[in-house]
Amino acid sequence: MKPLKLSVSGVRGIIGQAITPELVIDFASAFGTRLAAGPIVVGRDSRNSSPMISAGVVSALLATGHDVIDLGLCPTPVIEFQVKRQKAAGAVSITGGHNPASWNALNFINGQGTYLNEFQGQELLDLYHLNCFQPVFFKKTPGVIRELNPEEPYFDWLLSRLNLPAIKQAHFKVVADPVNGAGSKLIDQLFDLLGAQLIAINNEANGYFPHDPEPRPRNAMEVSSLVKITGADIGFLLNSDASRLSLVSENGETLSEEYTLPLLASYYLKKHPGPVVTNLSTSMMIDEVAKEKKVSVIRTRVGQSAIIQAMLEEKAAVAGEGSGGLAFDYFQPAFDALAAMALFLELLAVEGQKLSALVERLPRYHIVKDSLACPAHRLHTLVAEVKKLYPGEEINQMDGLRIDKKDLWLHVRASATEPLIRLIAESSSPHRAQAEVDKIMSYLRRLTG
Amino acid sequence: MRKVLPLKISVSGVRGIVGQSLTPQMAARFASAFGTYLGQGQVLVGQDSRPSGLMIKKAVTCSLLATGCQPVEVGILPMPTILFLTRKKQARGAVVITASHNPLDWNGLKFIGPDGLYLPASQIEELLDIFHQGEFTFVPAERIKPALTEKNAGFLHLRRILSQIDVNLIKKRKFRLVADCANGAGATLLPSFLHELGCEVRFINTELTGTFAHQSEPTPENLKELGREVRDFKAALGLAQDADADRLALVDEQGRPLGEDATLSLSVDHVLSRKKGPVVVNLSSSLVIEDIAGKFGVPVYRTKIGESNVVEKMIETRAVVGGEGNGGVIWPAVHPCRDSFTAAGLILERLAGFPGSISELMDTFPRYYLLKDKFDCPAELAFRALTELRRRYQSENISTVDGLKIIREKAWFHLRPSNTEPIIRVMAEARTAKKARQLLEDFKNEIKQILRQLS
Repeated sequence: MKPLKLSVSGVRGIIGQAITPELVIDFASAFGTRLAAGPIVVGRDSRNSSPMISAGVVSALLATGHDVIDLGLCPTPVIEFQVKRQKAAGAVSITGGHNPASWNALNFINGQGTYLNEFQGQELLDLYHLNCFQPVFFKKTPGVIRELNPEEPYFDWLLSRLNLPAIKQAHFKVVADPVNGAGSKLIDQLFDLLGAQLIAINNEANGYFPHDPEPRPRNAMEVSSLVKITGADIGFLLNSDASRLSLVSENGETLSEEYTLPLLASYYLKKHPGPVVTNLSTSMMIDEVAKEKKVSVIRTRVGQSAIIQAMLEEKAAVAGEGSGGLAFDYFQPAFDALAAMALFLELLAVEGQKLSALVERLPRYHIVKDSLACPAHRLHTLVAEVKKLYPGEEINQMDGLRIDKKDLWLHVRASATEPLIRLIAESSSPHRAQAEVDKIMSYLRRLTG
Repeated sequence: MRKVLPLKISVSGVRGIVGQSLTPQMAARFASAFGTYLGQGQVLVGQDSRPSGLMIKKAVTCSLLATGCQPVEVGILPMPTILFLTRKKQARGAVVITASHNPLDWNGLKFIGPDGLYLPASQIEELLDIFHQGEFTFVPAERIKPALTEKNAGFLHLRRILSQIDVNLIKKRKFRLVADCANGAGATLLPSFLHELGCEVRFINTELTGTFAHQSEPTPENLKELGREVRDFKAALGLAQDADADRLALVDEQGRPLGEDATLSLSVDHVLSRKKGPVVVNLSSSLVIEDIAGKFGVPVYRTKIGESNVVEKMIETRAVVGGEGNGGVIWPAVHPCRDSFTAAGLILERLAGFPGSISELMDTFPRYYLLKDKFDCPAELAFRALTELRRRYQSENISTVDGLKIIREKAWFHLRPSNTEPIIRVMAEARTAKKARQLLEDFKNEIKQILRQLS
C-alpha cells in the first residue's frame, strides 16, 4: 500500500512511494492547465526531497506555458503574500508541513494567495484524472525568474500592520524552534525587526528534523528548558513551512497547540471584531472567547482550504485551527505563523501581562487526541461504523462524525493527509474525554483486527 | 484515425516535438529509467541552446534526484566535451538535452554511459525495457542528494586537447581562420580554443538562440557563407562545426569546400605520422584511408555506420585513430568520440608543419570522388532486392556488415536500406567523377530492374 492523499488543496505522500516525478509533473501540469495565463510562483520548504519536486513542478509549469517565479526556499505564508504582490496566476508551495521528513506535498494556491477552495480543487482533480494537459507553443517559450529575498517585501508589509513602537519598547526575549524548516534564519530577521532578542534552536534550513515538525507539547521540551534558563518572555515552535505555531509560556509550560487560536483571537478581536471560523475538531475555548467578544463562531471541515473558504465567504476576522494554524483578515487569508508570532509580541506588549496569566483567563478544558492507522480504502467506512456506538444521538456529519453532549464533544474523522482515523474528545473532565476516546479506539481496533 | 506523433526512440536516444510527443512526463520517464539503469551516482546533465532545454532539463533533474542520482548541471556544451567530462569526472553517466540539427520545435535526450561512451545498442535495449515496463527504483527522501552545478567545466576538455598537440608550432604560424559554429554548442568553446592556438579568427553563426542559420550537413550549399568569408578575410582555412560540434568540415584558402573525407584523411595521415597503429572507419568512408594506412603499413578495419560501432571496434583493436567520412574524427588520445575540436587541433598542427597552403596539402593525397543518391522503396522490397543483388555478386569482394558493399580496385559501391525511412541509400566512390557516376548509375539501374521483377 502506497499512501497517497489527494485533497482539494493538494497532493501528499511518501517520497519514492506515492510521490514520484511523474505524479508531480502530472499534478503540476493539471494546475498549469487550470490556471489563467500568467506567471506562477513556486517555493519550497527545506526537506531533502523538495528540490526534486520543485524541478518537476517547474518543468510542468513551463510546459503548460507559464513563466515561473522561483522563490527557492520560502515559507508558505511568504509564498501566499508573493502571489498577490507579483500579480501571479497562482502558486505551488512544496512542503510536507507538519508531516515527517519522509513525506512531502504539493500545495496549490490560487491567484488570491489562498489555498484552492473545494470547487477549484475539484476542477484540478478532474483535470488530473483526464490527463489532458495544454501543450505549450514553442514560439513564446516561458522562462524562470529567480526571485531573491522574497521575505523582504513581506516583512515590510507585516511591520506596517503592527503596533511596532509598543513591541520594540518591550524589548522581548524570545525562544524559537523553526525545526530546521523554511522559517529558519528568517526568524532572525523577523525578531531583529521587532527589537526582540532571539534564542533560536534548530535554526538551519537543512531539512534535518530533530523532532517531528509538528508544533505541539511533546516536541517542545527543548524550547521549554531554554525559556526557563534564559528567562524568556515566550517560546515558539513552528512546523516546516511556518504555517503553524505552538507556544511555551514564560514559566516553561508547554501549551497545547489548541491555545494558539483562543489566546490570539481574544486580543485581535478587540481591534478587529468579526466572526471566527474554526473547524469541528478545535477546542471549545474559542467559543468562550467569541461569547465574551460577542461574535459568532462558524465551524467547518478540517483543513486550511475549508477554513479559508469560509473565512472569505463569511468575512470573518479570524480563522484558525486547533493544530496551531491562524489567519487574520487584517493580514492575509492564509495560515501565517510568522504574522502570528509578531502578533503575540504585540499582544504581550499592549496587554502588559505575562503569557501564563493570559492562559489562566481561558477556561480549562481537557482535550484528548488519538489516531489509528487504517488502510486508505477503509477509512470512511470505519468512521461511519462508529455511529453504531451512539444510537439516537444527534450527529454532525459535515466531516466524519461530530457528537456534542453536555460538557463533552468528540470528533471522529478520516485524516485528509495520512491514512489515519483521527479521534478528538474534549471535556472539562479529563477522565470523561479519555474514556470516550478509549471506548471508540477499542471498538475500531476490534473492527480492524 | 489518431494522429501519429513523431517521437523517435533509437540507439542515440529519444527525440520528439516539444509539447506534443516530447512532454515533461516523457522526459521524466526516460530519465527515471536511466537513473534506475545507472544506479546511484553522479550524472552530468548538459544541453544545447534550444529554448525548451530548460523545461526538459527540470524534468530530467527531478527524475535523476528521485532515483538517487546526483545531477551535475554543466550547461550548454558540445557533445564531445560532455562525453569527455563524463569520463574525466568519473560520473556514472550523462544525459544531454539536444535534438542536434532538428528544427527548433524539436528536442530530445541522449544517454551516455560510464567512461563517457554512448550506450551500445544492447544497453539501450535494456534501458528501453526499463522505460516500457515503468519499473523505476525511487529512493526514500533521506537518500535524495543535492543537485550540483558546474560552470566552465568545458575548459578541461580544451586543456586535454592542447596537452596532446604542439601548441607552439601552431602559434608560430599565426593562422588567419574563419570558423562557422552553425549556431551550435561549439560556439561556447571554439573561440577560446582557437585563441589558445594563437589564431586570428573571424567567427560566424555563434549566436546560441536555438535557431540555426543553416543546416549543419557539410554540403557545398551550407558551406557557401563560410567560403565567402574565407575569401573576404583572406583566411588560410575555414572550419565548420555541426550543431553538436562532433563533426568538422573544411573550406580551403580559396573558399572551396574540401569534400567530406578531407577532415578524416588529414587527421588519420597526421596521427599515423606521429604514432603507427590500426585505423577504424565505417564502410562509407573513402578509400583514401586505405591508401594512407598502406603508406604507414597499418591495418584498416571497417564497421557498420554509426559512431558507437566505430568506437567499439577502435577499443577492441586498440586503434590509434578512426572516424567517419562525414567529418567525424576520433582520436583516443583525447577521448574515444567524434570531436570537432580534436579534428581542428590535428589539422592545424598538420598544416603548421607543412610549408604550403591547405589546398597544396590536399593535393598530396590521392583524389577520390564519392557520389551519393537515394530512392524510394518499401522496407520489405528493399530487403529482397538486397538479397538478390548479394546473390548476383557473391563471387566478388563484398561486405555485408551493413547492407551490401561491393569492393573493386580503387572503387566501391554501397547499398543500404534506411532504418528510419522507406528509402534505399546508394553510394559509389572511384578515382574519377566519371567512373563514380558510371558505377552508381549501373547499380541503380540494376536495382530498379530487380525491384520491377519483384513487384
